[in-house]
Amino acid sequence: MKTIKLYEGQFHEWIVFGRDPDKPSKIIDTNQFLIKTKHEAILLDPGGIELFSSMLASVVHFLPVDQITHLFASHQDPDIISSLGLWDKTLPHATLHAPWIWEGFLRHYGCNNITYSSIPDEGETLKFDGLELQFIPAHYMHSSGNFCVYDPISKILFSGDIGGGLNSLEDPMFVENFEAHIPQIKTFHQRWMPSERAKDKWLKRVRKLDIKYMCPQHGSIYEGDDVQKFLNWLDDLEVGTGLRV
Amino acid sequence: MRSDIELRTNFYITAVSVSARLSTVLKEAKNISLEAMNAKALVARAGENVRTFKPITDYMVELANDTIRLVEEINRESLLISKSSLISLRGNEAFGHFLKAKNLSKGALYQNSFSSALLAAEKDLQTFKQDLQKNVRMLNELLEEIETRMLAANVVTSTSRLEAATVSNLYRANFEAIVAKFETAAKNIRATVMECRKVLNGR
Ligand SMILES: [Fe+2]
Ligand SMILES: [Fe+2]
Repeated sequence: MKTIKLYEGQFHEWIVFGRDPDKPSKIIDTNQFLIKTKHEAILLDPGGIELFSSMLASVVHFLPVDQITHLFASHQDPDIISSLGLWDKTLPHATLHAPWIWEGFLRHYGCNNITYSSIPDEGETLKFDGLELQFIPAHYMHSSGNFCVYDPISKILFSGDIGGGLNSLEDPMFVENFEAHIPQIKTFHQRWMPSERAKDKWLKRVRKLDIKYMCPQHGSIYEGDDVQKFLNWLDDLEVGTGLRV
Repeated sequence: MRSDIELRTNFYITAVSVSARLSTVLKEAKNISLEAMNAKALVARAGENVRTFKPITDYMVELANDTIRLVEEINRESLLISKSSLISLRGNEAFGHFLKAKNLSKGALYQNSFSSALLAAEKDLQTFKQDLQKNVRMLNELLEEIETRMLAANVVTSTSRLEAATVSNLYRANFEAIVAKFETAAKNIRATVMECRKVLNGR
């Protein structure tokens, strides 16, 4: 699994894991993010069950696994969190932060030990070990209960499925040329994102944030100007195209 | 029976198919019960002449009731096997994931930090396998019990046949027919039970 240290600050760091070469070929590629403070850590969208062993093997290069005290699931999809049952055995004392609407659903993956902390529709702030993370509502983008994570210190926005695409293992970890990147993300946003209203609301929300990196759960990371380019592109894009049929 | 339960993905299907075959056993047990009733009625009519048949009819009723009870127990045990085999399969998968992570993380600074999870998964798997093994053993014992009873039924059939031969001409044919039906039912039950055991033990 490819590993990149995205940010290293005085009190915390962001590490991204992706492009797992061991994953079965028909499974969509995903990016997982680890935010590590001195004593604790949070894993954002820990990934599918097929990826669990690679993820576990990768994180222990950076910290003892029980330093992970929090997990976050942006929404209920299997590529996001079907590994929950195994993390539940690995980190019995951890807390999972996930949309309140999915609790009864996510528990099907197995959540006997981990504490489920429901995020209310309006979002909330999580504080631990001196770190403050904001759970930003992104409902219906695509999932009906969905959140992004914003870190005001590093100015990183973890955007979940937003900004993602149906990428391949060879794709770069960072967007190199936005125009050339569009074909990779276009269908994904047109077909997976259901609502213009939801899109407008989300754009309005994130435009208020100072974003240096926008990190999707699939595909390449947007840096600097490419973040604004993406937001403008999304603004003009027609979504919900499945309704055309 | 295999001493070590190999975790076959179709194990729970095996348990279900044992359950499905039991309907034949149940049907034949009910036939025995019916023949026992006929025999009782006949004994009552024939009177003193056939009193030696009385204990045989009692035995038939007892055999039918025991078989029906055993089938109920087998159904319960099969359901338990379906459940415990699924739990074992899931435990086996979990252990596999942790083992794979161990191999992939060779040389990692904190590789040992998940060894307790790996050990717990291994221990769970052993417990799940033992539970499954216990359930399979119980089911085999129940099936064996029916088989033993059907073997005993063979001896009773021979005795009944001898008794039927001594009965007056008026009732002989009736008694012989009852004995023949009893024999067929017992044979069918035994054959089905043997098949169940074969399926169960993967032979
Ligand atoms: Fe999704
Ligand atoms: Fe996704």
